[in-house]
Amino acid sequence: MEAPPVTVMPVTGGTINMMEYLLQGSVLDQSLDSLLHRLRGLCDNMEPESFADHELVYLLKGQQGNPFILRARRSLAHPTAPWHLRYLGQPEVGDKSRHALVRNCVDVSASHSLPDFLNEMGFRMDHEFVAKGHIFRKGVLKVVVSKLSRVLVPGNTDNTEPLSLSYLVELSVLAPAGQDTVSEDMRSFAEQLKPLVHLEKIDPKRLM
Amino acid sequence: MQQREEKQLEASVESLISRVAHLKNSLQSFIYKLENEYDRLTWPSVLDNFALLSGQLNTVNKLLRNEKTPSYRNQVIIPLLLSPDRDEDLAKLTEQRVPVFSHEIVPDHLRTKPDPEVEEQEKQLSVEAARIGPEVAQKQIQTMNKLCSSLLEKLNNPRDDREAETAAIRQNKPSFNPTDTTALVAAVGFGKGLSKCRPPGPVNTGHPGQPMMTGGPTLQQVTIAGTSGHQAGMGASVAQQQPGQPGKMPSSIKTNIKSASGSMHPYNR
Repeated sequence: MEAPPVTVMPVTGGTINMMEYLLQGSVLDQSLDSLLHRLRGLCDNMEPESFADHELVYLLKGQQGNPFILRARRSLAHPTAPWHLRYLGQPEVGDKSRHALVRNCVDVSASHSLPDFLNEMGFRMDHEFVAKGHIFRKGVLKVVVSKLSRVLVPGNTDNTEPLSLSYLVELSVLAPAGQDTVSEDMRSFAEQLKPLVHLEKIDPKRLM
Repeated sequence: MQQREEKQLEASVESLISRVAHLKNSLQSFIYKLENEYDRLTWPSVLDNFALLSGQLNTVNKLLRNEKTPSYRNQVIIPLLLSPDRDEDLAKLTEQRVPVFSHEIVPDHLRTKPDPEVEEQEKQLSVEAARIGPEVAQKQIQTMNKLCSSLLEKLNNPRDDREAETAAIRQNKPSFNPTDTTALVAAVGFGKGLSKCRPPGPVNTGHPGQPMMTGGPTLQQVTIAGTSGHQAGMGASVAQQQPGQPGKMPSSIKTNIKSASGSMHPYNR
C-alpha cells in the first residue's frame, strides 16, 4: 500500500506535493567540533539549535509485499510539543546524474494520542531510536547533525546506547516536485564540507 | 666627472626620499587602521596592507641596488651647526618630529654603525661562519639552493599527484568512517541494528547489545523476499534466544494479516 506516483496525484487544493531531497554522511565524534564550527560559519547566523528526539517507526503490513511505513517523532527536550508524523516514499529513480536522493514527503503534526491512534489503525511499531544533535539552516537547506542511540527497553528513552561512534549528518531540502536546481545547490554546499564529511546520495535499497 | 656624480647623488637621494615617504604614509595609515578600526578589520585587508608595505620595501631595495645610484658608503655626513634652539624650518620639514637639531638627536639620526645588540649578533654570526670552514659552508649553500628551487618548482607547477600526496597525508586523521555512514543510514532508513518491537511473547532484554529477531516479519525480511544469503547473514549476527520461536513465527504472521484484511480497512485502496 503505497502512495500513488507523483504525476498521478491530482492537486485538488490544500497541500502541494513536497519532495525531500537528501544527502547523507557521517562524522566521527572527535571531528564533530570542527564540523560544527564550519557549519556555524557556512550557515545562517542563528543561535545553534540542539534537539533531542525520539522517533518511532510504524509499519502497516498489507496483503502485498511492501508494508506502509509511517514515522512518528516527538521531542524529548520539549515534552509538550505536538508529535510529528511523516511519510517518506520510495526514492525516485530519476536520472542518475541527479545528485541528491529524492523522495515524496508528507509531514503533519499530531497530538499526543498518536501512538494509540496508530495502534488502533493497525500499525505496529517496528523500531524506535533516539536522535540527539544540532540543526543548522542555510536558506532552504537544512543540515542535521545527530547522534543515533538505540532504545534498550522499548518505551524507556532514558536508557539508550549509541549506535556507533559517529554522528549522522543529513543535508535536506523540502521542495515542491519538479525543482531540480535544488540538487545543484545541495551539491555545492556539500563540496564545502569536504574533506570533513562526504555527503552523498545513499540509496537505502542498496544497504539492505 | 664630479659634477655628474653630484647630480646622480642628488637625483638618487630625491627618489629615495619620495619612496621612503610613500612607505611612511602607508605605514601610518595601517597603524591608524589597526588602532582605530580593529573590530571591523578583515584578514584579507590586513594582508593587502602587508603586501603594499612589502612592495614598497621592494622598490626601495631596487632603487638602492640600481647601478645609477652612487655608493652611499663613500659619503660622509658631518653636522656643521648644532644648536639647542628650536628650528622652525627643520620642524616643518620633519613634520614636527625633529624640532631641534641638537646634541641629543645627532647620535640617533646620523648613526652609521648598527645598534650595539645588532653589532654583537653580526659578530657572532661572522665568527660562526669563519669557524665552519669554506667547504662546509659551500655545501650548506648548495643544500639551501636546492631546497629553495624544489619548493619554487612545487609552487609554480600545479601537479595532479599533489592531490594524491595531500590525500595521503590527510588519511592519517580521517574525520569520518564510511562503514559508520552506512550503518547509520541503514538504521535511519529501515531500522537495521535497532531493537525491534515484539508482539506479546517472552521478551528477552538481558543482552542489550544484540539486535533481537522478533516474532513478526520485520521490515528487512519482507522487502528482501527471503534470499537465503541474506537470511544466513542475519542469522549470524543475531542470537536466536528462543529455539521454539521459529515454530511460532508462521502463526503470528497469519494472525496479523487476517486481522488487517478481515476488518476491511476503510482506507484500503
